[in-house]
Amino acid sequence: MRNFIERPRYSCALGGALATAGALPDTIPIMHAASGCAGNFAWAQSGGSGLQVGGYCGGLTVPGSNVQESEVVFGGAERLQEQIRSTFEVMDGKLYLVLTSCVTEMIGDDVRAAIAELTSPERPVIAAETAGFRGNSYFGYDAVLQSLFRDFVEKGGTKVKNRVNLWGIAPTFDVFWRGNIEVLSSLLSRLGLEVNTFFGSSDSLDRIRTSSSAVLNIIVSDVYGVEAARLFEEEHATPFITLPLPIGPSGTDSFLRKVGEALSIRDSLVSGIIERENADYYRYLDPLTDAYNDFDMQRYAVVVGDCNYAYGLTRFLSDDLGWIPELAVCTDEPKAEFATILAERFTTLESGLRPAFVFETDTSEIVRHLSERWPGPSGQRYYNAFSPAFVVGSSLDRDLAASIGAAHLSVSFPVVNRAVLDRSYAGYRGGLHLVEDLLGAIVGGR
Amino acid sequence: MSYFDQKEPPKREDRLHAAIAHGSTICSLANRKNCKCMNDGDRLFTQGSICQLLPALAIMNSFADSAVLLHGAIGCGSCVHSQNAVVKSGNAARQRPVKDGLWFSTALDETDVISGGETKLEAAIREIDRRCRPGHIFVVATCIPALTGDDIDTLIRNLQPQVAARLLPVHCEGFKTKIWATAYDSVYHSVGNGLLDWEEEEPLFTRDEFAELKDEYLRKRTVNVMTVSSMGRVDELELQRILGSLDLATNFFPLFAKPEEMYKVTQAAVSISTCPTHDDYLLYHLQEKYRVPYIISTMPIGIENTSQWIRDLAAFFGLQEQAERFIEQETASLASALKEFEPVFAGKRAFVSAGEIRAFVTSGLLTELGFEIAGIRSFHHDEYADAEYQKLAAKTEKDFVVNIANAQPFEEANLLKKLKPDIFLGHWNGNGTAAKLGIPASVIYNTGLSFIGYKGVYEVARRLCKQLKNTTYNRKLSSHIRLPYTEGWYGEDAFKYIRQAGGEASA
Repeated sequence: MRNFIERPRYSCALGGALATAGALPDTIPIMHAASGCAGNFAWAQSGGSGLQVGGYCGGLTVPGSNVQESEVVFGGAERLQEQIRSTFEVMDGKLYLVLTSCVTEMIGDDVRAAIAELTSPERPVIAAETAGFRGNSYFGYDAVLQSLFRDFVEKGGTKVKNRVNLWGIAPTFDVFWRGNIEVLSSLLSRLGLEVNTFFGSSDSLDRIRTSSSAVLNIIVSDVYGVEAARLFEEEHATPFITLPLPIGPSGTDSFLRKVGEALSIRDSLVSGIIERENADYYRYLDPLTDAYNDFDMQRYAVVVGDCNYAYGLTRFLSDDLGWIPELAVCTDEPKAEFATILAERFTTLESGLRPAFVFETDTSEIVRHLSERWPGPSGQRYYNAFSPAFVVGSSLDRDLAASIGAAHLSVSFPVVNRAVLDRSYAGYRGGLHLVEDLLGAIVGGR
Repeated sequence: MSYFDQKEPPKREDRLHAAIAHGSTICSLANRKNCKCMNDGDRLFTQGSICQLLPALAIMNSFADSAVLLHGAIGCGSCVHSQNAVVKSGNAARQRPVKDGLWFSTALDETDVISGGETKLEAAIREIDRRCRPGHIFVVATCIPALTGDDIDTLIRNLQPQVAARLLPVHCEGFKTKIWATAYDSVYHSVGNGLLDWEEEEPLFTRDEFAELKDEYLRKRTVNVMTVSSMGRVDELELQRILGSLDLATNFFPLFAKPEEMYKVTQAAVSISTCPTHDDYLLYHLQEKYRVPYIISTMPIGIENTSQWIRDLAAFFGLQEQAERFIEQETASLASALKEFEPVFAGKRAFVSAGEIRAFVTSGLLTELGFEIAGIRSFHHDEYADAEYQKLAAKTEKDFVVNIANAQPFEEANLLKKLKPDIFLGHWNGNGTAAKLGIPASVIYNTGLSFIGYKGVYEVARRLCKQLKNTTYNRKLSSHIRLPYTEGWYGEDAFKYIRQAGGEASA
């Protein structure tokens, strides 16, 4: 039982929920919270999300009830109703999503009753229970999806062949969320699928409303959004598969194959796409050959990431780039059932490598795990050092990289030292981007 | 009884009658008869802002050899991801080791909410003390412990003898005050109670009279310059240069202070505020307990205010003559340097949005540069702003709107659509509204940029000139991106939703 978390690499449920709600099309989040939560999250994005803060209705524009001591004493439901009514007048949206907080859940406000009087088909108001004490930002992502699926998505519609939903990538806490979603959506559409991703450029509230017509939900995460997928299945009878976030050719090949199997897509179609994409990937790699070998760009690696990136990055380094990941660290705290699935994945790398895999929330402890895996020198004349090395993690892992003389790239939240807009690491193209960024870090001082 | 004898400082609504919701104009604010009494109003529609946790963390994370332990849910303190960059660059600018700040969260969960988090907090303190060996651990109470009744003060008192680090309680319960500037009082309360006392050194066997005289001479010429977290090293150096011209030494406090040296603040000849919103709580305490007198009048931003700030300080030391010579020299050379910008700024209309004092002194600076003020939004109001209202009203030809708002960008969007200023100057994370309306924006609060003193005037002018040279980015952005407000809102009175005690708003 841990008593604290050092430098948490996520925010709370409310922070994740707000980022998620703010990324939905035409959606106005309404925070039923003390006034400071919004600013806290805006600053977190400013320092962690590759310079992406807010969106259509994010940052300090998010409406909120700003509860004070008087609401703590007398209850905040009336204040919330007043806020929702005035939000209708001021904020331009098609869906209003009330998010609860530590204070308003602890004082016992009945939010469902409060919104029941105000919601209408023309101006739907739904709510998610996202008090910070319920979990971290990935929990909040899942909670918002659950409330959408329960209270907004139409029930009882007919299924439409080849229509699928894809989720598992949490907006802004996966800093590369927009690029990753677009890349995967476009790959799947090449399989003849009509893909609804909720947060992509072609998504809309109407498509979200009718997402129950999908024949399959594809969750590109072993953890994030899985509870929502279970609820979706119960409510709308759409089955789901969970697949790791595919980064680079190996991961993406198996991602496409698994989706193809689940939907009984013609094998020749799937294989044809895989073949063309691999040909394209290696055509780009071709002129790198001399430099890669001449510079000896193969590295030992430490991978530090959330539940999606820890494995996705490790697999890419091991099975595509041919590096040697020795330690993989997941900085999240998934439930035991998910933790087991995730740990299992590290035992099946195609390269045959078996990196140590640990769950560790505390940045300063990672170096201890590394020295357990790769003990330091003990006075011997010849020492097989952990070098040349690379740390693929968050910007908090720069101190670790410096301490072991390794190069470093920030991928997992927080990413304070990069600007990220449409860059993706998912898919084949994502693999190429990752090669560029990893090797770019190695030759940066050239 | 002093405020410092209480467990936590009073909120500023009570101590300073601070207010956050008002719509008015500069002339009516300057001519108010009863200065203190602005209604502690509120709004029927509100947007999020920050709580005292955010500014408090910005200060605490800058302290050397310290850890910050947030007692709350896992998200409280997420803002540090942004502030940490300032901690790193600030240490680099001061030639200190460049490391990430060290912060922790007790990450209270559903069980803790029901059964209380004191056990977890105690174990966390012990483990952090053992694992990281920080000199000091600031234990910060957030909203949850205020509702569960966790008593961090008693817990710390009982635990202190058993841990090596100095434990300091800080109260930042977000829902307790609308005035986030209460954060400064919270940190100062903790520092004032825990870090300012020192032990008398044993006298030497042989007295070094020369060294004693030297120490005494230096002490009599040392000034506590109270820093704010928006001040980077570049601004400190400008103030050091100014004080140096009067042969005065600086002791910057509290940003980036070393806790073991904090007691020095009790031994200076005088303290001077660089932002009245920031410092009054500690300044009174330093005078009351340690007999260190203080000067609190304005921010040294803009030519007139910088000169006034210097005069106030010089008067304390009887150095008026030197100060006047310095001011004359400085303002003359600044005036000639600013000449090149005059044609660029003449007739341009600026809208300013920032903290209470900063919004007004920056507007003063802009009028000195030749701008016309189109409107001001100040984050809150209290008595310290009154002098600034009057100075600014005297300086500007036309009356203009003043909006007291703790962020609330919807009011700003409404005003900007109507006022159409040529440039907007706003706080960090507060420039988006203007930018998306196509207005060039200039950040008012970016630690590391120069704002303060005569150098600050020139640097702000230089920056504004650069920003006005090409305004394409925001202009093009605005033709593709829109703000999340209804068309109807832009036609309404900007202050429609302000509700004031004793009646609805009229503006």
